[in-house]
Amino acid sequence: MANTVIGSSIVVDGEISGEEPLVILGTVKGKVVAAGHVSVEAGATVEADIEGQNVTVGGKLTGNVTARERLELRPESKMIGNAKAPRIVVADGATFKGNVDMDV
Amino acid sequence: MASEDTCYIGSKTTVRGQVSGKQDLVVEGRIEGYVGLESHLTVEEGGTVEADVEAAVATLRGEVRGPVTAQRSLCVEASARVAGRLKAPTITIEDGARFSGEIEMDVELPAGVTPGNG
Repeated sequence: MANTVIGSSIVVDGEISGEEPLVILGTVKGKVVAAGHVSVEAGATVEADIEGQNVTVGGKLTGNVTARERLELRPESKMIGNAKAPRIVVADGATFKGNVDMDV
Repeated sequence: MASEDTCYIGSKTTVRGQVSGKQDLVVEGRIEGYVGLESHLTVEEGGTVEADVEAAVATLRGEVRGPVTAQRSLCVEASARVAGRLKAPTITIEDGARFSGEIEMDVELPAGVTPGNG
């Protein structure tokens, strides 16, 4: 199945929902609800709450993340918001401000 | 398959709201709201766009409802089902396409002919 890709010069203001893997290289404001993997790539700017199975952040994210499986913050990422996931990885170099809820 | 320079909305994805930018956009899924591009919009067969659309070039193969304005050209291909107002300097409608609505092109009318109303 093909990924949905929000290109680097694209701005989406609203809600993105779907069952496919979502790759964000551009700007998304609003809300993201995905059944699969959500990847906020380096250079992307997201001001949205994100729900997904796996969520990987390499860019800038302002908003709350709920991952049903795993959240990963890559070394160059900047995240401000609350994180809820059973497994959370914060890489060395990642910037993060917010609450972590691992459901323990 | 989408390259990094293309923006691609997959068949099981819905976007509600505004989509704008300078990259080519290919829609196999669904967009509701507004699309404003300085580039090429392609609505593939199976894709649905219910939106005000502005693009440099538009190629419609899927279902489109709403006014579509293209700065350069607009093509309604055979598999398309389109309802709304189309505006572009050149518009192509292929044999087999279904279209309901209004078409506007910038045409210089011959002297003595006044534009009608539909």
